[in-house]
Amino acid sequence: MPEQPPPEMVTISLDGQEIEVPQGEYIIKAAEDQGTYIPRFCYHSRMKPVGLCRMCLVEVETPRGRILTTACNTPVAPEMIVDTESAVVQKAQEGILEFLLINHPLDCPVCDKGGECPLQDQTVAYGPGESRFVEEKRHFEKPIPLSDIVLMDRERCILCARCTRFSEEVSGDPLIEFVGRGNQTHVITFPDEPFASYFSGNTVQICPVGALTAKPYRFKARPWDLEAIESVSMVDASGASISIETSQNEVVRINGVDNDATNHGWLSDKDRFVFQAIHSENRLATPLIRDDAGDLQPASWGDALDRVADALGSVRGDEVASIGGANNTNEEAFALGKFLRTVVVTPHIDAQVGDALNPEFLAGVTPRAEIGDLDGAATILVWAGDLKEEFPTLFLRVRHAVTQMGAKLIVVHPRRTGLDNIAAEKITYRPGEGPEVVRKLTAQGDQDYGAVRDLLTAGPVIALVGLTGRAEDPRLAEAVAAYALGLPGSKVLPLARRANVFGALDMGLAPTLLPGRVPVKSESGRAELESHWGPLPGEAGLDTAGIIAGLAAGDLKALLLVGADPVRDGRNPDAVRAALDAAEFVVSLDMFLNDSNQQASVILPVDGFAETEGTVTNIEGRVQKVNRILPGPGQSRALWSILDELSSRMGGQLGAGDGPAIAKEIALVAPAYRSMTWDRLEWGPERDGVVMPDRDGVQELRFVPDDSGLRPTAGRLALHSGRVLYDGGTRNTQSPALAGLTPDPAVYLHPRDASALALADGQEVDVAGEFGTVRLRLELDPSLAEGSAYVPANLDSTWVLGVPDVVTVEAQSSKGKKNEKKKGKKKGAGE
Amino acid sequence: MTSFPMILTERMTAHPADSHLLDRYEATGGYETLRQALLSMKPEEIVEQVKAANIQGRGGAAFPAGIKWGFLAPIEPRYLVINGDESEPGTFKDRQLLERDPHQLIEGVVLTSFAIGANHAFIYIRGEYPKPARRVQQAVEAAYAKGYLGQNILGSGFDLDVMVHLGGGAYICGEETALLNSLEGLRGEPRLKPPFPAVEGLYAKPTIVNNVETISNIPWIVANGGDAYAAIGDVDSVGTRLFSLSGHVKKPGNVEVPMGLTWRELIYDIGGGIRDDNELKAWVPGGASAPWFVAEHLDTKVTKDDCAKAGSMLGSGAVIVMDETTNVVAAAHRIVKFFSHESCGQCTPCREGTTWLERILWRLLNRAGRPSDIDLLLDVCDGISPGLAWPPRMTTICPLGPSAVSPITSIMTHFREEVESMIPGLQEVASA
Amino acid sequence: MSVATVISDWSAPNQERARTLLEAYPERRSAAMPLLYLASLEHGHLTPAAMAQVAELTGLTSAQVQSVASFYTMYKRDHVGRYLISVCTSISCFLMGADDVLEAIEEETGTPDGTTSSDGTFSVEHVECIGACGGAPAVQVNYELVEGVAPERGATLCRWLRESSPEVVVTDEMQKYFGGVRSFDWGITETVGAIAPVPAFGPYGSTGEESA
Ligand SMILES: Cc1cc2nc3c(=O)[nH]c(=O)nc-3n(C[C@H](O)[C@H](O)[C@H](O)COP(=O)(O)O)c2cc1C
Ligand code: SF4
Ligand code: FES
Repeated sequence: MPEQPPPEMVTISLDGQEIEVPQGEYIIKAAEDQGTYIPRFCYHSRMKPVGLCRMCLVEVETPRGRILTTACNTPVAPEMIVDTESAVVQKAQEGILEFLLINHPLDCPVCDKGGECPLQDQTVAYGPGESRFVEEKRHFEKPIPLSDIVLMDRERCILCARCTRFSEEVSGDPLIEFVGRGNQTHVITFPDEPFASYFSGNTVQICPVGALTAKPYRFKARPWDLEAIESVSMVDASGASISIETSQNEVVRINGVDNDATNHGWLSDKDRFVFQAIHSENRLATPLIRDDAGDLQPASWGDALDRVADALGSVRGDEVASIGGANNTNEEAFALGKFLRTVVVTPHIDAQVGDALNPEFLAGVTPRAEIGDLDGAATILVWAGDLKEEFPTLFLRVRHAVTQMGAKLIVVHPRRTGLDNIAAEKITYRPGEGPEVVRKLTAQGDQDYGAVRDLLTAGPVIALVGLTGRAEDPRLAEAVAAYALGLPGSKVLPLARRANVFGALDMGLAPTLLPGRVPVKSESGRAELESHWGPLPGEAGLDTAGIIAGLAAGDLKALLLVGADPVRDGRNPDAVRAALDAAEFVVSLDMFLNDSNQQASVILPVDGFAETEGTVTNIEGRVQKVNRILPGPGQSRALWSILDELSSRMGGQLGAGDGPAIAKEIALVAPAYRSMTWDRLEWGPERDGVVMPDRDGVQELRFVPDDSGLRPTAGRLALHSGRVLYDGGTRNTQSPALAGLTPDPAVYLHPRDASALALADGQEVDVAGEFGTVRLRLELDPSLAEGSAYVPANLDSTWVLGVPDVVTVEAQSSKGKKNEKKKGKKKGAGE
Repeated sequence: MTSFPMILTERMTAHPADSHLLDRYEATGGYETLRQALLSMKPEEIVEQVKAANIQGRGGAAFPAGIKWGFLAPIEPRYLVINGDESEPGTFKDRQLLERDPHQLIEGVVLTSFAIGANHAFIYIRGEYPKPARRVQQAVEAAYAKGYLGQNILGSGFDLDVMVHLGGGAYICGEETALLNSLEGLRGEPRLKPPFPAVEGLYAKPTIVNNVETISNIPWIVANGGDAYAAIGDVDSVGTRLFSLSGHVKKPGNVEVPMGLTWRELIYDIGGGIRDDNELKAWVPGGASAPWFVAEHLDTKVTKDDCAKAGSMLGSGAVIVMDETTNVVAAAHRIVKFFSHESCGQCTPCREGTTWLERILWRLLNRAGRPSDIDLLLDVCDGISPGLAWPPRMTTICPLGPSAVSPITSIMTHFREEVESMIPGLQEVASA
Repeated sequence: MSVATVISDWSAPNQERARTLLEAYPERRSAAMPLLYLASLEHGHLTPAAMAQVAELTGLTSAQVQSVASFYTMYKRDHVGRYLISVCTSISCFLMGADDVLEAIEEETGTPDGTTSSDGTFSVEHVECIGACGGAPAVQVNYELVEGVAPERGATLCRWLRESSPEVVVTDEMQKYFGGVRSFDWGITETVGAIAPVPAFGPYGSTGEESA
């Protein structure tokens, strides 16, 4: 945890008991920490108090006598005397409840919130017996959709303003607001402007009654049927804490869990609703083997594993490669790495697919920031993808640091980002010209970016550094980090997006890394591991790009795809497809069929999110526990058990019989994880996760980037291939709540570029690059740097473009169009 | 009544045709005080004079203006905001000051701004007052043209910009923090206090909010000295005040009188007595928020303390007189309906409670009351204002909610039998 | 987006007024209220499009602007007649017979409280205290005041509005012909008045000659 000075303590009297509480804490919080729960509706510990429901009234002794005041917004002061249970307080609280209930429909039996409703609970605990209200209740049209996901029943609403405050204060997209006043007040959107927020689900979670409901959960279950378990979201690598709730072996809801270190309880709607994918009817539920006619046929595990063992056994170890593993737990990743290094005996291992940053940089950049450091930062530099799209909960933490804690924000990106409206400074540059920006920032006396450099003289500086887009040279991030590390009091938070990519790298799923952040090239590190595992290859292996090339050239013969889809994620989709075609044998371990594993020889169904237990590691290096609450579908199995069985069929010994056993072995052989146990993460103060490096002084890798000497490379229309939250990826498309939210594919040009090309807003255009052509609608985007084109990555059609450095955009290219079609046909026929 | 200076209304009485114009204002000594003060006084000296004057705010809360100015946090910039939202039923005194003597207010604004170190002042006028707003706007423009506003006022080096802002139709914007929110382009919802505006006001900067009448007194106080002002009126409540008489009096209208008369003098001598020489039934002494007085209070003095002791307040200076023909339940209903309509809706007890009260009273009026409604009314009131005491304790953020309680406790205290006689069940018991 | 693009459908003087308002306040958001009046004037009432324009101008979301506008009673989000008749029914006017005035006006205009006549001439509403209690009962036409309006005078006033359909509603003129007791001496007569059901104040809505 980042250090904070301990708060000054003051003594107050709470219901006659003297207690010590931090100076300035609100009474409601101070009392709660001491075990005295003061009822409330509008108060939420992660938002500013507004004191409007008036439920938390208490009596406080003042020089002017005893006053009634709201505990949620009254800070404690030395010698304060607080009474939470006096007759006046009790009467007042009964009164508030009665007032809240007079217009409440009392439709608890059909309300999603029934059984977990603070209004219901507090009515039982503090409320009057029966209603004395004989007039007609206030009426509103029954639930009306605020968006594709959220519905609002205004009759149930108690106007606590939690939802509206969340959208304004926390997520910064105030699309729902109070309308009307007094007794007519209600919450609604603007006509024809839906509550299209990436964070809308949080309002449902914090609504203290059943006014806001989420379509995926409506009428799905009653609270008393629910079984819940805490875990970690796998949507991105920020490690948001969640609780997974099931009813009859089906996940029905995910809620955010307030983790001080990571998400403050908030989630993006993707974190919240992506669970639907695990119940998709397209989930793989049985092993599949390609028959002689080329069709995939269901097979028994025995047959399928025999087939894989035979194929892998019939080639040299270093003719085998593996791509993927970033969506798995640390234990699974570790088992996979050990399998590859000791049973197959190959160094060609890469967990990163299309957007690889140097694994040594990601795992070892020093000093590395924690998310919590943002709150103490004077200046935050974000030079990475659009956090709102790639790291939504981290985006909220940056917002918090800037809007609530007073940090100054600098954003560097090729176009507008979700953080721009709170940024003190913004630098927009043409993709490929990042090195020039770094040079200007570094150069003494350079005229440009004076204001930015001024801000950066105030530390502590926290720099969030990653790839701004897929076309960016990955070495730019290292150059940016090298620059940032020279700033006052700076720490860097390296960003790579995929769920457990940091865990995978820590477990050695990288061509240059062994488990525990040990570089392959470290003689002593390798020797240490060899003392447990026996001899290991001493050379670094091939990364994903090298593996694709190796397969195409015939140097590599067999490939494992572990939850990976390199065709979609690759720089050149056609080339990847060709490489997969060229491979003698491809086995895919996955939850779904995808563009890459369609042609695999064997497909093995694996357990996924909520179906496996283990640990994951986030961007900070924080290790957290993920939990299993239900079995995978059909015959699907945990990755480690598949690998364990495969090993014995191949005459090896993986010793990966179960999760705990693997966890023990990780602690034994991976230096950075030496003190890690599941127990530590499950109970007590370390439930929020433990950041491994620097804690026990066992972190091996200390990567200090230096200026990579990169030179600008942009061509005329430099491609910005940025990620969007709701992309065309499997998890989105298999989650009904999210599938419809994918934006329409389009290409974005600066208006001046468009007019230079004589192209108009909304026109259909052909976008062509080195690897393919795609027809897209043109949108004008003045936020782009001139001379660039933005194409959102991985939408249904855009992925075909691959990731060229530059593209051309023209009104009609009949030639390109025809070529593309022909090529597609030919390929189809060949497959 | 001893003789007293007409501080606020002398000019408009003597020159009804053009008291609002700059020429007349200057011809009657206007802006001379400002010229003198800017050249010869330090800001602190003005604050001292206003403290010595002991003038209580005329917006309703009667807080001493000089003391409030002393609370200003030492942070720049600071703002002065003039509260011209005047919406308390029965009140129309500020309207007359705005319409008939806007320069008197503007001179007060410049003096006050100079005293508190503000370079930006806003005059917030309720939206339903376009004519007063036009007059003030016209006066502001004339004052700019003559160098009484703007840069380097009268060569003193002091700068002040004044803006006139029109409200949108919401009584609650008279509450000073709601007013500030409204001025910031937000919903006019009162803020939690503390922090008070003097510490965190407009745009979270130190801000003084004063009523139109309060500030209209400032030129006189600065010209004649705080002690001269404090010598007028009663011991604690000093100076003159503008009262708005309405309802069943023979001579409704605004009157400027020194503090400390009796209610009898105000209603009978100055107001001319009750229409048609009917019996007086009750009156509201200080705007719709104030608990009512009845005949037994006629000899109570018109001061802050005397009224407080008698269980009410001078509030906004609105005196609403009801004669014997008045149905007190109907009158109370009308007042409660006002507060229910004007509740901003933030606080549960105010939003729900005022509406509930209004609906119970409506049932009573329509002879659909139940015997239990008497207790229910009082209990709902208790939920908004625990103990039903005066001054009220509140379960709410601002005093609007508890204001709705005043008419109900008033009719229950003074006219309980009449209320009960409207409830069918109780009627029979009473007549049996 | 530039101010000009957002309100390019507004009249040139109103575009200029909008620009002035945006610059006048220390923070842009503060201009929301006056801009809402100006937008109402331009669009006839506060249409969603008008609110969206104000949002664009002030840097708020449309939902926020709607929230602000709906808090106040004078921003009319539904169609309003040419003459908005607001009858005060608060306590002082009530004591002096305001309910009868309202009834007489409803009858004369054929427009029940809270509605707009089918020909679009009148909107009738009852309102809370308008600060004319000394001249109760009081009525406003397009926010221009008439004091001492006995029921039959209210009806005559409406008839006059219908028949002579004045372009500009002037308070002093109406008071002279249809008013009675006043809260105080109004002094000299003015000819400034309202051209629409939006308060007639400098930056929006007012027209006519300023008094000498
Ligand atoms: C519900 C409510 C309505 C108010 N309305 C007004 C008003 O219309 N005019 C006014 O000057 N003060 C009004 N006030 C009082 C103001 O909050 C504030 O006390 C006053 O403007 C301060 O000025 P003063 O000290 O000069 O009186 C109101 C207060 C409340 C609680
Ligand atoms: S008491 Fe009423 S008007 Fe005042 S803040 Fe609460 S709800 Fe709003
Ligand atoms: S929790 Fe304190 S007022 Fe709502």
